[in-house]
Amino acid sequence: MIKVEKIDKYFGDLHVLKEIDFHVDQGEVVCVIGPSGSGKSTLLRCLNQLERITNGKVYIDNELVDYRKNDKDIMHINHEDVVKMCQELGMVFQRFNLFPHKTAVENLMLAPMVVKDVDKKTARAKAIELLKMVGLEDKADEYPVRLSGGQQQRVAIARALAMEPKIMLFDEPTSALDPELVGEVLAVMKALAKSGMTMMVVTHEMGFAKEVGSRVVFMDDGRILEEATPDKFFNNPTNPRLKEFLAKIL
Amino acid sequence: MNIVQISAFAQGTLVTIELTLVSMFLGTILGLLLALGRISKNKIINKIVWIYVWFFRGTPLLLQIMMVYFSIPLIAIDLFGKPITPPMFVAGCAALTLNTGAYLAEIFRAGIESIDKGQMEAAKALGLTYGQAMFKVIIPQTIKRLIPPYSNEFTMILKDSSLVSVIGLAELYRKATILAFGSGNWVYLFYAAGVYLFLTTISTYIFSKLEKRYSVYL
Repeated sequence: MIKVEKIDKYFGDLHVLKEIDFHVDQGEVVCVIGPSGSGKSTLLRCLNQLERITNGKVYIDNELVDYRKNDKDIMHINHEDVVKMCQELGMVFQRFNLFPHKTAVENLMLAPMVVKDVDKKTARAKAIELLKMVGLEDKADEYPVRLSGGQQQRVAIARALAMEPKIMLFDEPTSALDPELVGEVLAVMKALAKSGMTMMVVTHEMGFAKEVGSRVVFMDDGRILEEATPDKFFNNPTNPRLKEFLAKIL
Repeated sequence: MNIVQISAFAQGTLVTIELTLVSMFLGTILGLLLALGRISKNKIINKIVWIYVWFFRGTPLLLQIMMVYFSIPLIAIDLFGKPITPPMFVAGCAALTLNTGAYLAEIFRAGIESIDKGQMEAAKALGLTYGQAMFKVIIPQTIKRLIPPYSNEFTMILKDSSLVSVIGLAELYRKATILAFGSGNWVYLFYAAGVYLFLTTISTYIFSKLEKRYSVYL
């Protein structure tokens, strides 16, 4: 579904991702965990082209969308095509990033109307349906500033779903939330996983990774150090750095 | 004041209003384009806009008005062999537009840069192009923040439109001084001050109303 081969990412002199091979298959829920600064968010952002890779290849749906060597674009793939491919990836941010000048329902309607030329009535009907799914249809006409963090993040998930993505990327979706609001967001994500959505989740929520993840990935210092089923990952880790990490947090 | 004087004042006021509205309208479009050029990653466009803003903010508006009005005929001689004199109103509007465009460019740029980076990322992640993200997501959010400085610039141009009198355009200031100097009566200058105050008060009031209307989501 989505695959990267030998990608490197530099921020100036900082080597953030080191020759990473990574893939997410149809129907998988891949949870990526690791300490801060390990490159997990950067990896996710390289997938939907919010960050440019320095070296390597990125495939979406088995199609090459980016191929670079030393920051040089080898393939010269049409930028518009890449934007189109990236519509298949929905993204949920740590800080929600809802559009503050639009109501909840308008947040969901904007991209389908602008990008896909969906008419207003259809877009609204679909948006209300999605808000129902995340349990917020009564907040449809509220501006984001009037919603709690958990509600905002649920709207943000619904907004990403409004573009009918084939895969959802979550970048620490609960890290900016008050502890008592984490549950409602995780519940929506669990329901989404159950419905068969392909997901990649960068998270610190070990419980979620254990319960919902089909594969858990441990990253540290720009490398993937361990990749396993949740059971093996948490109960029988092999990598010493992962053992150390799990000992600290569990 | 007799009827002739009143109609002279009214005509002058009308020209002042027209000058201000036309210049601000065109200046807003120009300023927006310049602001987009200023934040673009293209270094050449960036530099050109920088030089433009540097020139028009760094020289007197009075001089700019003279340059537009008197240089156009001379440039036309060089290009076409015969002078083309622009109407005074057109020259006046052009100079005010060029000037306010430079100021508005900086106001717009600051507004756009004040929007959280996550907004552009969210728009891109949803599949919007840079242009769609700018016009549907980023710029609409700047409006509320831009109203106070924009209102300020509007007031400046309303008052500075009096400088266009230097090329002979009969706007409010010029009408008032003609009446005052012709009659030797200073009261006409105070009438003019009254009209300017009336206009600036109204525009400030309208902008503050607009600001309130855009406050719903913040």
